[in-house]
Order: sequence, then C-alpha cells, then structure tokens
Amino acid sequence: MNSLDFSIILQAWPYLWSGLLFSLALTAVASIIGLILGTCFALVQHFEVPVVSQIVRGYIAVMRSIPLILVLFWFFFLVPIVLGHLSGNGRPIPIGATYTAFITFGLFEAAYYSEIIRVGLRAVNKGQFEACQALSLSTFDTYRNVILPQVFRVASPIILSQTIILFQDTSLVYVLSLTDLLGAASKLAQLNGRLVEMYLAVAVVYLVISSAASQFVASLRKRYALAGVHR
Amino acid sequence: MLYEIGAPPAERSSPIVVVESLVKRFGSFAALNDINLTVAKGEKIVLCGPSGSGKSTLIRCINHIEKHDGGRIVIDGIELTDRMADINSVRCEVGMVFQSFNLFPHLSVVENCMLAPMKVRGLSRPEAHDRAIGLLRKVRIHDQANKYPAHLSGGQQQRVAIARALCMQPKIMLFDEPTSALDPEMVKEVLETMVELAREGMTMVCVTHEMGFAREVADRVVFMDRGSIVEEGDPDTFFSAPRTERAKSFLSQIVH
Ligand SMILES: Nc1ncnc2c1ncn2[C@@H]1O[C@H](COP(=O)(O)OP(=O)(O)OP(=O)(O)O)[C@@H](O)[C@H]1O
Ligand SMILES: [Mg+2]
Repeated sequence: MNSLDFSIILQAWPYLWSGLLFSLALTAVASIIGLILGTCFALVQHFEVPVVSQIVRGYIAVMRSIPLILVLFWFFFLVPIVLGHLSGNGRPIPIGATYTAFITFGLFEAAYYSEIIRVGLRAVNKGQFEACQALSLSTFDTYRNVILPQVFRVASPIILSQTIILFQDTSLVYVLSLTDLLGAASKLAQLNGRLVEMYLAVAVVYLVISSAASQFVASLRKRYALAGVHR
Repeated sequence: MLYEIGAPPAERSSPIVVVESLVKRFGSFAALNDINLTVAKGEKIVLCGPSGSGKSTLIRCINHIEKHDGGRIVIDGIELTDRMADINSVRCEVGMVFQSFNLFPHLSVVENCMLAPMKVRGLSRPEAHDRAIGLLRKVRIHDQANKYPAHLSGGQQQRVAIARALCMQPKIMLFDEPTSALDPEMVKEVLETMVELAREGMTMVCVTHEMGFAREVADRVVFMDRGSIVEEGDPDTFFSAPRTERAKSFLSQIVH
C-alpha cells in the first residue's frame, strides 16, 4: 500500500462538506419533528387519552423494535402507494428521497424522544402539580409553563445523547441513494482509491462533532444539577 | 395581649369558609368523617392533631386539591362542586403554602411570583413584576428576587412561597405545616411573616404544632383525631386545660 496522502482530503473537502451539511440538516429537522411529535405522544400517554394512547403505545413499540433502515425502506416504497390509494386514482405518488429521509427520521426519533419525555413527566414531583392547582393555573398553563420546561431541562442530556446517535445514523440514507457525510467519503474513496485517508477524515469529523456535543451534554447536566432541577 | 388581631367584630361575623358534614374517603378508609367548620372573615384557625388525623386532607379539600365525597364546602359564597369554573374561582380566593414549599425550580424567585397573576389574573408583565417585588419586600426577600429557589435557604424559600400565594391576592390563606420541613433556626423567620400576615387581617387556616404561634395569633384551635374534629376552643383554654382525653394525650406528646 502506498503512503498516506492527506492532501487528497483538501481536494475532497467541498464534497465532504456538502455531505456533512446534509447530515446536520437531517439531524436538525428530524430532531425537531421528533421532539414535537414525541412530546405529543408522551402527553397523550400521560393523560391516558382513550384509544389514542393505545395506538401511540403500539406505534412506539413497533418503531423501537425494528431497525431504522427497514423503516426507511418501507416508508420509501409503501407511503407513495398508500398516498396513491388515498388520492383515488391508485397510482403511486412518489414523495422523493429527501422528504422520505426527513419524515422517516423524524417519525422514528419521535418514538425514542417520547419515551424519554414520558419518563421525565413521571419524574416531576407531585408537589409541582399541586402548587399549580393551588395557584389556579389551567392545565395548559401548568404543562406549558411549569411541567414541560422542567421535563426538558431534566431530560435534555438524554435527549441530546439520543440526538448524537441520530446524527451517526444519518449514514443510513445511502439506502435512499442520498449522500451524507459518510456516503460522500465512501463514494470518493471508491473514485480515488484513498480509502484510509477518506475514512480517517470522516472518523475525525464524527469524533469532533460527537464529542463536542457530549461535552455540551456534560455541561448541561452540571448546570441543571446546580440549579436544583434534578431530583 | 398587646394588640387586637384581625378585622373588627362586625365584619368577622360573616363566614368565609363553611364546611358542612364533610366526608373524604381514600378507598374504604374515611380520612374525614362528618367535619363541620365555619371560618369567619379575618379569623385565624390553628388545626392540630396527631399524624394521620386528616389535617392536610381537610385543608386540601378546601381548595379542591382533594375532591370530597360528601357534605358541602362553601368558600366566600361559592360552593365547591365538580364544575371547573367554581373550582377555579375558589382557588383564586384561596392561597396555599405547603410543607415542602413547592416552588418552581426552573423559575427565578420573582418569576415564581409572577406566573399565576399573569396567566390567571391577566396582569401584564410589568404589573405582575411590581406586585411580586412589593410582596417579596413584605416577606423581606426582595434582594433575592432574581435568584433561583435552589440557591435560597429553606426559610427563604418558604417566605417566597408565601409571597407567591399572596400575589394572587387571596382572601384566605391555608398553611400545611409550613415550618416543619425547616431547620430550627429558620422557623422563626417564617412564623414572623405569618404573624405579620395575621395582624393585617388575613383569614388563615394553619396546620401547625407551633404552640407559640397558636397562642399568639389563633382565634381558635381545632383539634382533630382520626378524621373528626374532637375539640375546639381558644388557644389559652385548649393548651392549658384541654377537655378531652385525646387532646390531653396529644398535648403531652408534643410538649416533650
Ligand atoms: N392520597 C391518599 N391515598 C390514600 N390515603 C391517604 C391519602 N392521603 C392521605 N391518606 C390517609 O388519610 C389519612 C389522613 O391523612 P392526612 O395527610 O390528612 O393526615 P395529617 O393529619 O395531615 O397527618 P400528618 O400530621 O402526618 O401530616 C392518613 O391515614 C393517610 O394515610
Ligand atoms: Mg399533613
């Protein structure tokens, strides 16, 4: 094997960069969708809304027990067919690989986030609810201003850890022929034959981003521990 | 006694809390059994009794944190029913202070006091802020207004909790053992705040075993045991010459 040549990374950088941007965008969008949906799912279960909460529980169980890559496949092939049937003419309506990725990752993450938030909701001290009642706050204001902010603070380290995993999982979009950071690196590696350099470079990028995020998680934990939000 | 506590007698005669034949069960266990209690405007009542006698349950029923199973509760002319509108209007009139403070840990002291006035009473942010600072000044803690609860001592937290309840401008204040989670050296500052509130004429129902406080401010001591009111009377008579055996044995325990 010939000696390592890292100048190749500089040349490859613009392409890697676009892959990285896609990974970051996918992580951001999916975690926002996941958080919003996941919070709704958690609340539905918390309030034990009849029927809906059973459906949500089933959905979460399914999502958590099958690999993301399968969900991606299904979504990519099945949803266009379902949409086609719904629209009436029976012909599949393609939704495109990028949308599929954003929506699927979001739906998938929702299942994980909702479990985190559900546990967080249960951990809130009973006295907090009673204080809200005594102050005559509405249920909406109670959750919006008192309960959920505490849940998010307590759960934010775990939510962020989950998001780091999501960021690493974005590489699965190769099954939809989309190119994320890892995808970009492997395509280039096949073209220029510089496998070691390429895979080293992306490993470093993953390492830097993930450990920066972990660092942030640790600092959050410390901050909220000091503010006494953790119990 | 050096000062007259509370409102003039004429105003006192009108009841602000009426509890009639109140029953509260947890499963088959009757935590409250046929409770009758009337509190006049400006009156200060101290509730005492052994652990498990139903003191907390009684005052929690008064602002409907616990739902009662029988009897009637009328607060300032509004009967507590299942109607949310009634429950909310009653809760607006009734402030509550808990043993464990229950401040909102993610909000600063002043924000703790501003939240409900803004959301429930519809005050603007500056109005709520002014009111909060005013009441924090009253409980002598305004210099800590921007700190978070976790950075305050227990006594300070409990005074914030009192200010938070007062920000809703309640007509009645309920206290559930407000000093029993505190270190001894902090009990005094909280009791002083409560005495001050009493002198201003607030109607108060306090669950407490602080006899000094009871003697100083209570118009009436109500002694509960096993879900019933067993004895009531003015503090001097109750503490020095209790009539019932149960009160006697209870008092002999808390004195030691
Ligand atoms: N949520 C509940 N579920 C079941 N039983 C309860 C509940 N809350 C209170 N009880 C019971 O009701 C009785 C009265 O309780 P309560 O808390 O009112 O007593 P207390 O007089 O305040 O006692 P303490 O001095 O210990 O605070 C107790 O026997 C208690 O075990
Ligand atoms: Mg109690």
